[in-house]
Amino acid sequence: MSLLQVNNVTHSYGATNRFWRAGRQKTVLSDVSLSIEQGECLGLLGTSGAGKSTLGKVILGLEKPRKGQILFQGVDLYETNPSTRRRLRRDLQAVFQDCYSSVNPRMNAEQIIGEPLQNYERLSPNEHRRSISMLLESVGLSPEDRGKYPHQFSGGQLQRINIARAIALKPKLIVLDEAVSSLDMVNQTHVLHLLDELKTSFGLSYLFITHDVKAACSLSNSLVVMEKGEVIESCEDQSQLIASSHPTVKKLLESILSEHPRSRSIN
Amino acid sequence: MIASIRTGLRSQKTAAVCSVILFVLFSIAILAPWISPHDPVEVNLALKLQSPTWDYPLGNDHLGRCNLSRLLHGAQVSLGFASLIFISSLLIGLLIGTFSGYKGGAIDLVLMRFCEGVMAFPTLVLVLGLVGLLGPGLPQVVLAMVMVQWVYYARMFRGMVLSLKERNFITAARISGSSHWTIIRRHIIPNVLPPIIVMGTLEIGWAIMDIAAMSFLGLGIQPPSPEWGSMIHEGKSYIRSNPELMLYPGIMILIVVITFNVLGEALSERFGVKRRY
Repeated sequence: MSLLQVNNVTHSYGATNRFWRAGRQKTVLSDVSLSIEQGECLGLLGTSGAGKSTLGKVILGLEKPRKGQILFQGVDLYETNPSTRRRLRRDLQAVFQDCYSSVNPRMNAEQIIGEPLQNYERLSPNEHRRSISMLLESVGLSPEDRGKYPHQFSGGQLQRINIARAIALKPKLIVLDEAVSSLDMVNQTHVLHLLDELKTSFGLSYLFITHDVKAACSLSNSLVVMEKGEVIESCEDQSQLIASSHPTVKKLLESILSEHPRSRSIN
Repeated sequence: MIASIRTGLRSQKTAAVCSVILFVLFSIAILAPWISPHDPVEVNLALKLQSPTWDYPLGNDHLGRCNLSRLLHGAQVSLGFASLIFISSLLIGLLIGTFSGYKGGAIDLVLMRFCEGVMAFPTLVLVLGLVGLLGPGLPQVVLAMVMVQWVYYARMFRGMVLSLKERNFITAARISGSSHWTIIRRHIIPNVLPPIIVMGTLEIGWAIMDIAAMSFLGLGIQPPSPEWGSMIHEGKSYIRSNPELMLYPGIMILIVVITFNVLGEALSERFGVKRRY
């Protein structure tokens, strides 16, 4: 049984007009299916507006799709009773692109990371402090940073805080919605390495949503490419992606900047 | 950089001066019963319209009552009830605005159309109408003003909640397993309350003016209790012979309203908030 199974999910946003009830519907996901195995990372590629983030939201249980089902650990996320859903959601966390808007500016690092712990675990103040220190260390920050507020961190550090919050409950699946896209190249590499390490040490699975083919390839085991709400290609490894004949996939691959621009211009 | 520090300091200096003035005024209002030299309602026709003496530093009014004592006691009414109006309409607005903005949908639609309906009327006309309905008296005026004022706060809170709701940390909190109530309490209210309190300081000035206006029209506080608006009302018959009867309470209203407005401006500059509905 797969950890996550997305079966024929269709979703649309209605342009709901209050005066003329029947607003036009815009289909953002049509008949999307994919699955993620335990300990695996699935890269979800696609250009802007392909429906990647919507799929992420649907998987996270934030938006009920019009059709289809999301099976997480074999249970339909939108059909179970609230207590099961709450228990399942614990194993389902996320990191978003904009690290600044992902944290409450009026909370310090300890409060931000401690939020999921407070919601799900009954820890004594001492244990709480200790697990926050451990989490900060595991994402490469110092425990002394616990009292700092978001504006005192850099973008890369803040994204680490977001990652620490996501792994606080030792989840099974983390949705990384463009999690490294807003960072500079150096920080991107650091965070990708960190995510890779965490994956092995915590036994995590990722849904890595990105438009960056290189980043996707470096972290993912398998890849799925989306366009206009449809899955147009799913491959087991990079070589399959490179061999793909689909024009959009080719375009995506061409968009990778060469490390040696001069040699490319000669070709 | 230096310029921003300088403006920051300057606005803080203004805020500090205004706070001191307001602190003094509020202390006077609270301590009025102890520091005023005479009973504010004690009539002594022998001293009618008397000029300032050592015993009566600001003279006496047309019934021989001590002007200074009346002014001090009037501060209690003006400042106290203006703050009451401010706090209650802020709380009602917070409750309804946050609920409406967070919940959205049909409830939001109905509540906001109601607010817009109330906002479409001039405030004073509505307050006058309500006071006419409820009967004259200070509690009725306060009630009427709260009933009209809260819609402005509700509107502001709702707008801010709407923009806040789209921020990722609300989604992140939901994913972290926080209930809606926890999200409102821990993420929304701490982020919407401070800027609106800052904007609200501007509103207190208006509330004081409105109370005074109502008293001037004879709808607010009933004689013989002292209040700045009613003092101006009583003094207006003597404007030719004794203009100071109107001048003293007028100056007090001026000082309080200007101080509140300048403080509000300074604070909104300091915290970078803009007035919006």
